[in-house]
Amino acid sequence: MVDRNRVTRRVFGAGVLATGLVGGAASGFAQGTPRRGGTLVATWGGGEPQACYVPAGGGSSPTFSSSKLFERLGNRAMDGQFQGELAESWKPAADFKSYIIKIRKGVKFHDGKDMTVDDVVYSISEIWKKYSAASALTDFTGVEAPDADTVVMTFSKPVPEFFFSSLLCGSVNYIVPKHVYAGSDPVTNPANNAPIATGPWKFKEWVRGSHFEYVKNENYWRKDMPYMDRLIIRYVRDPAGRAAAMEAGDIHIGVFNPVAPPDIKRLTATGKFVATPKGYEESVWSTTLECSMRNPVFAKREVRQAMFHAIDRNFLAKTIYYGYARPGTSPIYSPNKEFYTTDTFSTAFDPKKAAALLDAAGYPKKADGKRFAINLLAAGWFTENGKIGAYVKQALEDVGVAVNLSVPDRPTSIKRIYTDYDFDMAISNQANPSEPVPSTTQYFTTDGIKKGVPFRNANGYSNPEVDALVEKIKVETDPAKRKALVFQFQKIITTEAPLLPILELESITVASTRVQNHSNDPNYLAASWYDIWLAS
Amino acid sequence: MQRLEFIGRFARNRGALIGAVLILVVALMALLAPLFFPVDPLRIVGQPELWPGEDPDFPLGTDSLGRDMLSMIVHGARATLLIGLFASAVATLIGVSVGATAGYFGGWIDEIAMRAAELFQTIPNLIFVLTIVVILGSTLANIVIAIGIVSWTPIARMTRAEFLALRDREFVQACRAMGMGDFRIIAGEILPNALPPVIVLSSLVVAGAILFESAVSFLGLGDPNVASWGRLVGDGRQLIRSSWYICAIPGVAIMITVLCLNLIGDGLNDALNPKLRDR
Repeated sequence: MVDRNRVTRRVFGAGVLATGLVGGAASGFAQGTPRRGGTLVATWGGGEPQACYVPAGGGSSPTFSSSKLFERLGNRAMDGQFQGELAESWKPAADFKSYIIKIRKGVKFHDGKDMTVDDVVYSISEIWKKYSAASALTDFTGVEAPDADTVVMTFSKPVPEFFFSSLLCGSVNYIVPKHVYAGSDPVTNPANNAPIATGPWKFKEWVRGSHFEYVKNENYWRKDMPYMDRLIIRYVRDPAGRAAAMEAGDIHIGVFNPVAPPDIKRLTATGKFVATPKGYEESVWSTTLECSMRNPVFAKREVRQAMFHAIDRNFLAKTIYYGYARPGTSPIYSPNKEFYTTDTFSTAFDPKKAAALLDAAGYPKKADGKRFAINLLAAGWFTENGKIGAYVKQALEDVGVAVNLSVPDRPTSIKRIYTDYDFDMAISNQANPSEPVPSTTQYFTTDGIKKGVPFRNANGYSNPEVDALVEKIKVETDPAKRKALVFQFQKIITTEAPLLPILELESITVASTRVQNHSNDPNYLAASWYDIWLAS
Repeated sequence: MQRLEFIGRFARNRGALIGAVLILVVALMALLAPLFFPVDPLRIVGQPELWPGEDPDFPLGTDSLGRDMLSMIVHGARATLLIGLFASAVATLIGVSVGATAGYFGGWIDEIAMRAAELFQTIPNLIFVLTIVVILGSTLANIVIAIGIVSWTPIARMTRAEFLALRDREFVQACRAMGMGDFRIIAGEILPNALPPVIVLSSLVVAGAILFESAVSFLGLGDPNVASWGRLVGDGRQLIRSSWYICAIPGVAIMITVLCLNLIGDGLNDALNPKLRDR
């Protein structure tokens, strides 16, 4: 559900943890009486989107710009509870093969027309199924509206409740107006660049190369919201430029690593800004390392394990990410309250063990001190990946594996990893929500091998045991049993080691201390920001 | 005797002399790099971001990963000079071949060659280099080829102009009358006379090539398996406000080298241009 078609450059903070990050973040939440009116200017750590709204997601940039206008059926709160947004509630049928959704009454689109169950049915069958949630809705059979405030979604197999709730809250699973989109190709509909939706903000203008201007939706269904009159999303290509604009008071809040590490430190030291890692719990980024199963040297899992044993993940987290990363231990990330487990196979830093595993696997050091040679590709969309590549090269050479490193630019990296499969080992990134199916599992299952589709199973790993287990996870409706299955999945994957996250990355929001009610959603970049306000 | 006279004229240009001495030092550094620093310069050897002088083991400090700056500068001299020389050689080879053919034969060959040169000249050089590197892949050889491909046009034009001026001189006509073949006339008779200004230009192309390589590496498209100065500047860019020495040290090295190459170009011009002989 989380779309990563467009990965942008991130910057990471140095030493902010030490300068009262946690204390500062507290001031981001409600204080005193909200002040009404005014203009909030926001930015993010990337560039302008290809369109204001992209039905398939299109990456973080259009998600950021469209999520202030569109709304979803549900939303996940910071404490993990699912709550209704455009839906009032939803519940499964006894067999979990259908779900009944109660739709909120009295919601109007920005053009004044009422939002009805027809819009919901249209959005699910024409937008979710075909674009935004195509890989999650494989067992979806249909959707209908038995009455004016109920929608029923049916499936061919049982669907776990957590999976279903996550689907309703999926970052671009919006409810779009049928009267605007019906009969057109949603991908090229001109409304994508001037959306009509139900959210707290109304589209006013897009000045290309500069900013979006949104104004308050006077008919918003949440009474007396939003507090502010205008929301501007400004794009500044350069992190140093963003820092300068924030300092000058031109930009109030920047999500997803808006400024360079030394600038985070400098800005927070003035006392006029806070930096917080909150608001990314449902979109955790990681850096992954994978071994191509197409190269026969990686046929034995001991060889793959040895590759991971050779790497000091703590060093990477500390040196390359200045502490803004943690060593990865499992394909499910540690902020995931539902499914993360520490009961996994550990491939911790141990070069001696790596060497012993390689010796035992039939790859002793030859006369030149090398066991075998590989091509390592580090995807160049984050500059940090190139540095990680340089370290991994050295670490593998220390255990006798000759490495030729390449760090291609973004399009070439995507093509070489996900279309040409032109690598022996690859360093890439992914961002996943808590629900593991399909975002996480499609990196490991046989049906995740889709040549040319970015951010899927690129290493060719295919294991009937894993495929069967994922099928079980898909349909297990008992939360406790499902959890046990996901734990089992993590154990198998960490033992098999075709692809493992070596780092879990921390994303940072920087905001002026004047900004109130921010970072209060587990995917804050994709939240509607209806309750944000600016203190005087 | 003639050679001594040449050196004398070259040395009369003080700048050129200083440039030549410094380049010699850099070249020596490049040659002896494995002797002084036998370990791979891209190895992580110490604490990251040690400032110059902070630790006597690393006189120029360490970069953001903890690699020895001095070792990378010394080894980087190797990569940087090699790229400069080879790229200039590629450009000179293409440029002289095209220019000589066009200038000597004239007519439609000249037309085609010069239109082709104009085509190359109208494409912004850096963007052209980046495009070629992205398509061919970021290896040292590809970067050299890419720089060679964009740098040949001035050499071709210069060579052509020289050939146009020389091809109808008496000594060439005498060669023709003797029945000498075209290739022998071009390579054996006209080229040696046309060469001096071309050599000056080639020395400047070396400097240009170093700058191109630096720009390519700065933008993260350099060969990641090789320590070059441009790459160091690029790596340090993110830390420019906190650890600026990571950018500054290789930046100064690039500046000095390029400046010296330009000074040498001036000196060569003085030494090779008979009209300036007694300036």
